[in-house]
Amino acid sequence: MPTSAAESLLDVKGLNAGYGKIVVLHGVDLTVRAGEVVTLLGPNGAGKTTLLRAISGLLPWNAGSVAFGGRDLSGVSPRETARAGLAHVIEGHRVFTQQSVIDNLLLAAYDLPRGERNARIEEALSYFPEIAAKRNDLGSQLSGGQQQMLAVAQGLVRRPRMLLLDEPSAGLSPVLVDRVLTVVSTLRKAGTAVLLVEQLIEKALAAADRVYALAQGKIVLEAATTESNLPQRLEQAYFGGHAHQHAI
Amino acid sequence: MLASILASGLAVGAIYALIGVAYNTMFSASRVMSFTAGQLGMLGGVLGSLFVLRLGMPYLLGLVLTLAACAVVGVITEVVTVRPVLKSLDQHLYVLSTLALALMIQHAVAVQWSTEPHPFPRLFGPATGGITDEKFWLPIVACILTIAALEFLYRHTLVGRAFLAIAEDNFAARALGLPERDLRIASYALAGMIGALAGFAGGALLLAFVANGPLLNFYGFVPVALGGLGNNRGAIVGGFALGIFQQAANFLVGGIFSSVAVFVLFIIVLLVAPQGLFGAPATRRV
Amino acid sequence: MSAASAVDGGVTQRRGEASGVVRQLMPLAAVFAAAVFIPFFSNDYWVLIATRAAIYWVLVSGLNLMIGFAGQLAIGYVALLTLGAYTASVLAAGNVTPPVHPYAALVCAAIAGAVFGLIVGLPALRLRTFYFAISTLGFATIVTQIALAWQSVTGGGIGLPGPEMPAPFNTHWGFYYFCLALAAFCTWITFNIAHSRFGRALIAVRDADVMAEASGISKPHLLSTIFVFCGALAAVAGGLFATLQTYITPDAFTFDLSVLFFIAVLIGGRGSILGPLIGTIVLTLLPEFAAPLAAWSTFLYAALLLVIVLAAPGGIAALLDFQSRKPLESNRAIVPQPALLDDLLGKQGVRGDIALKDVVLSFGGVRAIDGASVDVRPGQIHGLIGPNGSGKTTILNVISGYYRPEAGTVTLSDKPLEAGRPVARADHGIARTFQTPRIVGEATVLENVMIGGTIKGHASFAEALLQLPRQIKEERMLRARAAEALRAVGLEGLGHVRADRLQHSELRFIEIARALMAGPQFLLLDEPAAGLAADEILRLGQLIKEIARRGTGVLLVEHHADLIFDICDHVTVLNLGRVLASGTPAEIRVHKEVVSAYLGG
Repeated sequence: MPTSAAESLLDVKGLNAGYGKIVVLHGVDLTVRAGEVVTLLGPNGAGKTTLLRAISGLLPWNAGSVAFGGRDLSGVSPRETARAGLAHVIEGHRVFTQQSVIDNLLLAAYDLPRGERNARIEEALSYFPEIAAKRNDLGSQLSGGQQQMLAVAQGLVRRPRMLLLDEPSAGLSPVLVDRVLTVVSTLRKAGTAVLLVEQLIEKALAAADRVYALAQGKIVLEAATTESNLPQRLEQAYFGGHAHQHAI
Repeated sequence: MLASILASGLAVGAIYALIGVAYNTMFSASRVMSFTAGQLGMLGGVLGSLFVLRLGMPYLLGLVLTLAACAVVGVITEVVTVRPVLKSLDQHLYVLSTLALALMIQHAVAVQWSTEPHPFPRLFGPATGGITDEKFWLPIVACILTIAALEFLYRHTLVGRAFLAIAEDNFAARALGLPERDLRIASYALAGMIGALAGFAGGALLLAFVANGPLLNFYGFVPVALGGLGNNRGAIVGGFALGIFQQAANFLVGGIFSSVAVFVLFIIVLLVAPQGLFGAPATRRV
Repeated sequence: MSAASAVDGGVTQRRGEASGVVRQLMPLAAVFAAAVFIPFFSNDYWVLIATRAAIYWVLVSGLNLMIGFAGQLAIGYVALLTLGAYTASVLAAGNVTPPVHPYAALVCAAIAGAVFGLIVGLPALRLRTFYFAISTLGFATIVTQIALAWQSVTGGGIGLPGPEMPAPFNTHWGFYYFCLALAAFCTWITFNIAHSRFGRALIAVRDADVMAEASGISKPHLLSTIFVFCGALAAVAGGLFATLQTYITPDAFTFDLSVLFFIAVLIGGRGSILGPLIGTIVLTLLPEFAAPLAAWSTFLYAALLLVIVLAAPGGIAALLDFQSRKPLESNRAIVPQPALLDDLLGKQGVRGDIALKDVVLSFGGVRAIDGASVDVRPGQIHGLIGPNGSGKTTILNVISGYYRPEAGTVTLSDKPLEAGRPVARADHGIARTFQTPRIVGEATVLENVMIGGTIKGHASFAEALLQLPRQIKEERMLRARAAEALRAVGLEGLGHVRADRLQHSELRFIEIARALMAGPQFLLLDEPAAGLAADEILRLGQLIKEIARRGTGVLLVEHHADLIFDICDHVTVLNLGRVLASGTPAEIRVHKEVVSAYLGG
């Protein structure tokens, strides 16, 4: 399904990235349009986290291009990409455990004008009443699921045009996973684009408009989530040549 | 006698504690232990004497200029010796680059200023000779004020919270869009000022003496070793404890052997508790 | 390879290695040969300067092993010089004992230096780099303080005369040649250590200490030996220094001198003998040529150090290393030759399994392994797969001995494998590779592989020092074996290249070659296929199969499903620290829970 370049908010072309000598991404192409939810699936070690880090500027990349809202992001720092409207919620619900929930959100609002900070923080908290109730608790006093919600709330403080979410379900109970994915739907309705990296295939497909599959550093599948047979096609894409043994 | 040991112990301990805090501030921002902490203390004393006594400036102006100059030294430390080395995987390089800079600072001062100790200006008139003399309470007051200011900074300002954030989880702070590089530079400037204040407030006690550099490097590091890397509260407690221990040892066994006593204590503590008495044990990374 | 060409290859190789070592010795010999002529072309003053340089080098040659090779930043080493100087002087002067002959005084100084060197160095075994550096500073201060205070013996601030050498060494020329000969001897013995398994073990401990442990290198043992050796050399230098100065006082032993020694090693470059030698000569001569800047000399040393650290961290040695700048062939293919594995793995005796039973291990309240049982059988390839965080690498680390399980047992042939002592695993015939290649970048590929064979050497440190026959023979065999290991894994011809110039995939195969060096009965592989191209993964698979065919038990932790299903005899799937399923690849492939856990959902 062709995506016209003029409409796409995030446009990644031929991206190569890695850590030191290890090349993880071998020419990745990916687009996300304004207001759509795209999910990125793939086995461990495929490069999903690497891709998100390259997009937000946490990891330098050496070939290809990344454009956000028409702007070229090569060599741009994470601070700048955040300012441009791209928020990255990294994996592992890494909130600042020695600071309170409110302080964590204040830090997310660091670059906002002082007068706007409180309003935006309340806005972000409104997505997660559970942690709004715990606003003065330290990060260390929250459960893993609450920390994940806080991390997502941090990403929302600046009303980003697009949110990169890296495995928000990791270590969470199914109830909390649904909670987080409900927020993703709400964001979609509000016009925020989301690029969601996930391990839970069915839930991710349910929340998204389109899906990409990444295996061994390359995109091996691109489809709309309305298409049929997706789980089987994904399995085939991951296991490559071995998939046919299953059929036998 | 006890009163005098306490007074001088707490005073010199306050200076050591502040140098320890300077070490910690640089460490929290960059995971680097910088050899320049002691030199900052030395510069506090030397520049204070230079501005106020030799150039005749008012005390407060001399203080402000000294703090500013050492903030600049802190920034230079970060830009020249820390940042280039952070990207490298080589663990040992930062020890060498900061050591090189510390030596350069020390010897430049030795040549340009003097290798002899020089007197330090007094705020409140000539020495009274008792334990209420300003050379005892000035460092202690400076230490308390600094701690209070840092508490305020870290708990009630956004910049202070940002410092804590990059100290706790540098990567998450970057991902959140915090200006990690600018914050690191600011931390080093802050460390410069803390070190300078230690030297300036302690000037009457330690004098303006270039040999204070290596002296404070060591004695300022012991509180850090005792309290655990990055732990300011531990450094304060460790600093005062060290000061009193040292002055008591001075009194009991004399100046030369008191440094032996301190050193033996230092080694024993480190071998028994490498993470410090208040620090958390480091888990082995495989 | 036919027998004839194998023999011929061996001879050519021996000539090759001999010429490699000779090539490295030649510049050193040239320096000393030139030095012999100095007195003929200059005056007494320069002879004294040259003597000073020679004495400094006696100390720095040992310190080089400690700082440059072992990576222990002893910045207060003037303490040992002071100790040696005072020991020799006090004994020779007869303050405390009847006067001792200067030669004997030097020997006594060496002994004192050995003991004290060990004491100064011991904190290094427990402390981080910065802490250790500061502790050596403290030692330097203490020694000077003691020298000042112990007036009855050391003369306090007034000092005492240094030992007078007997004829013919009591003239400037005579003493110069004495010191020069000693300096040349020190160069030779430290060169021997550098090119022995001790030297390689030192740089392994410096740059990849986890890997060094896994290869059976005991860090405390090794470092203690070096501390004793360095201390002895430094103290001897101190005794000679006292003679040179003719009269010593505590303020002859300044921190500046420590800085000079330390910087000489670092400007010279780590892992080199020639570099620090040149560094020592340069730094000794610098104040002479920069006479008006004499007061600034330490400033200049420090500035030079800063420049080196920022611009040329490899020091003079790296600048002179033309060999490593030769371009490498691009498009290198890794083509293993499994037939060579016969020599490396030999005949495996009948051995039992490595068995983990109901192992539980937590990190800070989180159960990384929650009651898992895994068996590794000789001759079998056992695959271990599972999502991130399932405990795969942790299990490998438990077998390697880095972690102690809270519950359960880890046995080899039904005998318990002790936890917390990874260094003992190599003796049990267990070798491993790492998730990120732990390679010494500054060493050559061959040297990296030879590190794996360290435990096969039995020649002592003293035998290595003096290049005694057993050392020469063992070294030759180790080198040949390493070359064969490289050929076996497909990296022939890259032996003399600096390891950090190779590609990631080649580094992975180097790790395997290194693991093969000890002829392991069990091989633990931690994601060896990560970052490899498809054809390389195929070749890796073949190589692992051939290794297992010769009786080695392989535990393969992997993400690459194709590799696992291709070569494994048995597969265990982990999830959240527990065994989800265990069976043949075919069984696992269709196991419903596995498919969903692996893919998620």
